[in-house]
Amino acid sequence: MMTRLACLGSLALVLVADIASASPPAQPYAPGIESPGYVWNAPNEEQMIALAHRADPANGEEAYAVCRGCHQADGSGRGDAIYPQLAGQHASVLIKQMVDVRAGRRDNPKMHPFVAEWVVSSEEVADIAAYLSQLPIPPTNLKGDGTALARGQALYEKDCAACHGAQGEGDGAEFYPRVAHQHVSYLDRESKLIRDGGRRNANPEMVKAIKGYSDADIAAVSDYMSRLPVESRPE
Amino acid sequence: MRLLAIQSLVGVAGCVGVLSAPALWAQTKGDPEIGAGIAARVCVACHAEDGTSPMPNTPRLASQHATYLVKQMKDYRAGRRTSEVMGNYIGGLSEEEIPHVAAYYAAQEAIPGVVTDPSVLKLGRRVYVDGNPGSGIPACSGCHGDEGEGTRRFPRLAGQDVGYTLEQMRLYAAGERTNDRGLMQTVADRMSEAETLAVAQYIASLMVLDAEEE
Repeated sequence: MMTRLACLGSLALVLVADIASASPPAQPYAPGIESPGYVWNAPNEEQMIALAHRADPANGEEAYAVCRGCHQADGSGRGDAIYPQLAGQHASVLIKQMVDVRAGRRDNPKMHPFVAEWVVSSEEVADIAAYLSQLPIPPTNLKGDGTALARGQALYEKDCAACHGAQGEGDGAEFYPRVAHQHVSYLDRESKLIRDGGRRNANPEMVKAIKGYSDADIAAVSDYMSRLPVESRPE
Repeated sequence: MRLLAIQSLVGVAGCVGVLSAPALWAQTKGDPEIGAGIAARVCVACHAEDGTSPMPNTPRLASQHATYLVKQMKDYRAGRRTSEVMGNYIGGLSEEEIPHVAAYYAAQEAIPGVVTDPSVLKLGRRVYVDGNPGSGIPACSGCHGDEGEGTRRFPRLAGQDVGYTLEQMRLYAAGERTNDRGLMQTVADRMSEAETLAVAQYIASLMVLDAEEE
C-alpha cells in the first residue's frame, strides 16, 4: 500500500513537472546588498551544512565533472571567457560563492543550472571546494597590459591588502578570496560589479573601499593582482 | 586506441570471464550472461544483439555505461522518460531484469559511428572541446570526456548515431526529455541549430578517429 502511494506520488510529481516547466527552474532570487538590513556573509543553513561537512576531495573530483566544461579539468578557468581560476582558492570562499549562486544572492543565470541543488548536494559543494582548494595553482593566467602596475600596486597596498593579504593570498577563515594570479578579466569584471552594486553578495566594506575607483584604477589593480605570485598560496 | 583495447578486454571478459568477472558485476549488480537471454527476448529487434544497430535514430548501446543504461530503463518504466517505441517494449522488462540487460550491453564492443557530414566536424570539435562562452555552453568534454567515453555519472557518446543524438537534443530543448536534472535541457536550449548539428557529427566521428589511428 505504501509502495503504491509512493508510486502515485511520484507520478503526480512527474505530471506536475511536465505541466509546470518545459525547462529547469531559473535561478532564484534572494535579497542582497540592494536590500535594507543586508548583512554580508550572514549565517545560513546551507553554508553551515557545507562548512560542517567532513569533505571528501575524491568525491569532489567526481562531482566537479559538471564544472569542468567551463572551469577546466585543472581548475584553471579561462581568462578569455571570464571563467575564474578555481584551483588553489580557499575552500570556504568556494563554498560561500557556490551557496550564494544556489540561493540567488549572487546572480549567475548561466552557471546556476550546473550548480543547482538538484545537480549538486550541499555536501558535494563542500567536496568540490575541498578538491579545488588543494589543486596546484596553474602556472599561466591572463594578465593585463602591464602599463599601470605601479598605480595598481599603490592602490592594492592602500585599499586591498588589509583583507586580501600582502601577496593576494586571501584569508579562508574570513571568507576573503585569494586574488593572486587570478585572471585579470575576472578581477576587472567582478571589481566593477562590486563597485557598481551588481555583485549582490558583495562585502559593503569593499564597496566602500573602491567606490571612488575609476575604470582605469580597477584595470590597474586587477592587472597587479593577476601578477601576484603563485607562491603566495597559504599552507 | 587505448579505449578500444579496454573495450576489447571487456568484450573478452563478457564472453569468457564468468570467474574473473565478479568485481565488475558487483558494481553494476547485473550479470551479462543472464542479460543476453533477456536482450534476445526484448531488445535485439531494434538494438541488435551487439548493441550496434544500424537502424536510423536508434541509439547504440554497446559499451554504454551500465549505470546510465539502468537509469534510462528505470526512467522509461516509471514514465520519467518517454518514447513511443520504447513504450511498446519496456513493459517486457521487469525491474530485476534491468541490471542484467545493462550489464550485457555495457560489455559489448562499440564500433565506429557513421559521419554523414564531415564538413561540420571542425565546428563540432570546437564546441565539444571549448563550448561557447558567449551563450554559456560548457564544453561537452567536461562531463562526457575528451573521447566521448563518459563516466558512471554521464553517458558515453563516442560513435553514437547522428539521428539519435539530434532527436535527443531536440527533445531536451523542447522540454520533452526531462530526466537529466536539467543539465542537457539547459545546454540544448543554449545551442544553435548549427552547433547542434555539428556536435552530433563530431560525436559520431570520435570512434572513427580512433579507428583511423590504429
